[in-house]
Amino acid sequence: MPTTFFGWVGYLLDQYGSLFLRGTGTTLLIAIVGTILGFLLGLLVAIVRSIELDPRASGFKRALLKVAQAILGVYIEVFRGTPMIVQATVIFYGAQQVFNIRMPQMFAAIFVISINTGAYMAEIIRGGIISIDKGQTEAAHSIGLTHWQTMVSVVLPQAIRNIMPSIGNEFVINIKDSSVLNVISVTELFFQGKSAAGTYYRYFEAYFIVAVIYLCLTFTVTRILRFIERKMDGPDSYTVLGSTNDSHANFTVRKEG
Amino acid sequence: MEHVIEVNHLRKSFGSHEVLKDVHFTADKGEVTCIIGASGSGKSTLLRCINLLEIPDGGEVLFHGENIQSGKFSLPQYHARVGMVFQQFNLFNNLTVLKNCMLGQMKVLGRSAQESEQNAMRFLEKVGMAQYIHAKPKQLSGGQKQRVAIARALAMDPEVLLFDEPTSALDPEMVGEVLSVMQDLARTGLTMLVVTHEMGFAREVAHDVVFMDDGVITERGAPEQVLLHPQTPRLKEFLAKVL
Ligand SMILES: Nc1ncnc2c1ncn2[C@@H]1O[C@H](COP(=O)(O)OP(=O)(O)O)[C@@H](O)[C@H]1O
Ligand SMILES: [Mg+2]
Repeated sequence: MPTTFFGWVGYLLDQYGSLFLRGTGTTLLIAIVGTILGFLLGLLVAIVRSIELDPRASGFKRALLKVAQAILGVYIEVFRGTPMIVQATVIFYGAQQVFNIRMPQMFAAIFVISINTGAYMAEIIRGGIISIDKGQTEAAHSIGLTHWQTMVSVVLPQAIRNIMPSIGNEFVINIKDSSVLNVISVTELFFQGKSAAGTYYRYFEAYFIVAVIYLCLTFTVTRILRFIERKMDGPDSYTVLGSTNDSHANFTVRKEG
Repeated sequence: MEHVIEVNHLRKSFGSHEVLKDVHFTADKGEVTCIIGASGSGKSTLLRCINLLEIPDGGEVLFHGENIQSGKFSLPQYHARVGMVFQQFNLFNNLTVLKNCMLGQMKVLGRSAQESEQNAMRFLEKVGMAQYIHAKPKQLSGGQKQRVAIARALAMDPEVLLFDEPTSALDPEMVGEVLSVMQDLARTGLTMLVVTHEMGFAREVAHDVVFMDDGVITERGAPEQVLLHPQTPRLKEFLAKVL
């Protein structure tokens, strides 16, 4: 048996390397799928919450939209106002006891993290939509685009670009906070660390390994996201086309500011 | 002469602030009408009501004799016929110059990408921006942006173009390039309603000049008449300030 701290770290890695690896994979999977589904859910919620009806719309339409918007408001309030660890237990055990549904752990994990992320994303995206200058929407309407076309072609691409840092941040949070899903026995990284620690009672070493892996994940992901953001901005320069009969006259102009 | 646009008894309030009070107004085919008046007199609101960016509280706007709110018009089709050029340009920031001029053609008029591009190029050449088709709006100067915005509006083949102070946000040295594009347009027989403080432009290009004062049109006529022989003290006062 090892006698030093790093000796134990090496021993645990040797014994439980594949366990840690699978845990890492599960954590990443939950975080990625949860962030994507949460984003789509948030997008839908944000769009519905930002619909402004034509003043000529009927009373029925108006009432329907009001009710839908109120329900979505409650959803956001509830899921942002309670800890995810509580949401996970309430949903998992609630489904079991009240509806007699035994969700597979992985399904429950992705379900919980998606609707939790959706609540945050909805507010982030709504903020992004609101921050786009009204002139963009008016210009789109003035050439005849509908509300929906304006959203898809003009407003959302700009809003989403602007909130990319916040979306990335949600992803990083999900990598870390998916650890609370160990309460419903999802075999993510923290849960696997707990298993590895238990056999030899080497809690410090096992959780040290877990901590290092989380740090590597978030460090790498943060760098990748920043790279993607820069890609999204497109080239820094554009080409001014020369006269058609002299294509060598093309030159390049750097972006201002 | 056929009225392309006719405005009757138009009223619009924001809260308790009555901005348009019983406005009457017509624009004839192929004519350029300049709307002048002090800041806050309701010029923008008038254009925005004509384009239904604001919903009027009362009165009517007729397009070829049809009430634009009667439901006979689909709003997108009406917008395609009546375009608008804004003081702040409002180019789509996420799209290149070329795509700015293609979007409406493809989504609203249902034109193919190829046809839209050809048409867009035609108007970008006209405004002298064909060299910049790959640039994004933030890479352009104000004058260049406004010329692209004009090309974007023209690419929809509109009958009427509304201009809301198209040169007011420009540095002085760029005003000329935009006005000269507009002057060329006026000769093509496009119906234009232009809110402007450029009295030189109004005098040279306009068929009609309209003076708006505190939500009503108080004087209207040929440029020489309105600009050189103002009738009301308010217009005299206004002209003394801007000329
Ligand atoms: N959306 C709005 N809400 C409230 N007040 C407005 C709005 N738009 C314009 N106004 C007010 O209406 C008046 C006329 O505005 P506007 O039509 O922009 O005048 P102009 O273009 O002649 O300067 C101003 O007092 C302005 O503050
Ligand atoms: Mg104005």
